[in-house]
Amino acid sequence: MIDTVLSKLRHATQRAGRPDRVSILLPFLLISIGLGVLAWRSYHLSLRTEQGAKKLAMHHADSAASITAIRVDAAARAEMAQAVEEWQQIERRIGDPTFEALSAWIGQHEWIVSAIYVPDFDPASAIYASENAKSAKGEMRLTREFFTVKGSIKYTYDPRRLLARPSVQTAIRQPRPPGNGTGLRIEQTADVALVTGENPGLRKLRDGFAVVTQLAPPLTPFGIRAIVRTSYVGGSGWENQRVMSLWVSLLALVLLGIGAMLALRGIKKESETMKLRGALIANVSHELRTPLSMIRLGAETLKRGKLKEKERHEIEDTILREVLLLSHLVENVLDVARIQNQSTRALAFTPVHPRDLIRNLLTTYESWIRNKGFTCDVQIDDSIGEQMWDRDAVSRALLNLVDNAIKYSGEDKAIEVVLRQDEEHIIIEVKDHGIGIAGNDLTKIFDPYFRAQFSDTQTRRGAGLGLTLVQQIVESHGGKVEVESTAGSGSTFRLLFPRGLAGDPAQIHSFGAPREAF
Amino acid sequence: MGHRLSRIFVAAALAVTVTVQAGDQKCNGTARECDQQIRQILGGNRFLGATIEERNPGLFITAVTPDGPAARAGIMVGDRLIACNNKPLTQASSREFKQTLADARTHGKLLLIVGRRGGYKRIIARLEPYTKEQIDKIISAHLSQSHPSSAGAH
Repeated sequence: MIDTVLSKLRHATQRAGRPDRVSILLPFLLISIGLGVLAWRSYHLSLRTEQGAKKLAMHHADSAASITAIRVDAAARAEMAQAVEEWQQIERRIGDPTFEALSAWIGQHEWIVSAIYVPDFDPASAIYASENAKSAKGEMRLTREFFTVKGSIKYTYDPRRLLARPSVQTAIRQPRPPGNGTGLRIEQTADVALVTGENPGLRKLRDGFAVVTQLAPPLTPFGIRAIVRTSYVGGSGWENQRVMSLWVSLLALVLLGIGAMLALRGIKKESETMKLRGALIANVSHELRTPLSMIRLGAETLKRGKLKEKERHEIEDTILREVLLLSHLVENVLDVARIQNQSTRALAFTPVHPRDLIRNLLTTYESWIRNKGFTCDVQIDDSIGEQMWDRDAVSRALLNLVDNAIKYSGEDKAIEVVLRQDEEHIIIEVKDHGIGIAGNDLTKIFDPYFRAQFSDTQTRRGAGLGLTLVQQIVESHGGKVEVESTAGSGSTFRLLFPRGLAGDPAQIHSFGAPREAF
Repeated sequence: MGHRLSRIFVAAALAVTVTVQAGDQKCNGTARECDQQIRQILGGNRFLGATIEERNPGLFITAVTPDGPAARAGIMVGDRLIACNNKPLTQASSREFKQTLADARTHGKLLLIVGRRGGYKRIIARLEPYTKEQIDKIISAHLSQSHPSSAGAH
């Protein structure tokens, strides 16, 4: 699945001349935007969840504190009212209050510390009673007064003890935590307690909220504190939306990066191809025109007649040579064009003696080589047997190399052609003592239409297709091309064909097929 | 009315006697603590010196402490309380009246309107602190009741 997608992608990027290189970016862009939106939504959702949980916690703490405070106040007031009611019943029953009655009343309410009953008519006969239990140091004392029919009672009491009464304590009920069971991925706990000396209001905790509500007077030193803490379930796993959105957005960025890289590479390749095409048109037209004009000139001279035998012979030689050159050039251009369009032509693998192949080729072009003033030194290992090669293709490759050696030689007009073998390869070497290739051009010389920059490049004819073709041919035989060169002292091109190619039909490759098919 | 009051006084006196005889009601504070506590509670202007009774409808003065602030201001037994410090009392309960008295404690001024013999009378009275004698009496009563051992020392 992924392989097919990748190969299609590569296919798309390698197809030459497509005007819409940028379109490769489109699917990546779309997927990235989709993922980005997804990530943003997820992050937004987590943010909203958190805000909602916070708001919920705040409101919950607030309402829990105030409701509990109201409940506690009511309970305390009920407790006091009950004490008053009891006293009035006592007074109604016995008429004039006595010390015993007052003491008994205090004893019934353990939160009352002391009380004084003052009759309206004769204050001097007031009764004062204090509780029996020994009071601890540092207790709080509050005073309260109420009126009866014949007098008034003023009593002091301990608010702590009042708030510790069971009836008040039952008013402090723990509320249900707010967030649980709401479907949110949060866990909340609520805690309500009676506190002293805390400032009323909302306080933010690290993981929640605390709200303190004062009790009503006279119990204002006391407050009800409600704490609601919020924690998230599944802190760092997949279920955490924030982590999720981070990963998704990272993925989107990576995808976008890959898309941009592919598109950039495509654009770069295309612009290079366009540049090279321009160069090709210039080169090839020049290359075609020169031999054509030579042939035309020769033919016109011949037609005019009245030539000496020797002159006529020279003109015929020239025409023949130029026609050869022309056909060589046209073949190269056509082959390379075929390679680039990826039209497949099966190589015709036949048993070939490399020795014969080289000798035939050199014999055919001997006069041409000699005319150029070159000497060709041939070393052949006779022990090499037949190989399954495409005779024409290998000949063309070799011819291209010899042609290059001649073209790019200087004063030292000597070429060596060596046929040898090692453990794994049949090797054909073509060595010259010419101008060589600069180091940074070495990697580019096999690119189509590339021509190394020399001071005199334009004087040497060529379309920049020869080495491309050589490489394609050798690679379709399963071999490779090596080159050694130092600028100024010559180059050695080495064609390495794998041994034992003979007779194996599986090894027959199609000429110019895409490289990944190998 | 006078007969009923005297009955109450007798009952109070009896109660005091009973308490003194019981003697086992112990106060957990020391005599000094109780002394301080009582003085503190009884501080401020609290004393009018009149007993009122709720009759339907209205509040009536049923007793006036001789030589008390009420007696000095001219409040008499049988007066009906109409208003006190701009607060109408014609429908009020005795508890409400006492609350208005408590509200007036800081300055002690009382502007009373009473109904007497078919007419209205404007009376300015003043709440007074309990006298030293009254407080001493209350303290000694308490000490003799619940601090039998230290009663003599005081």
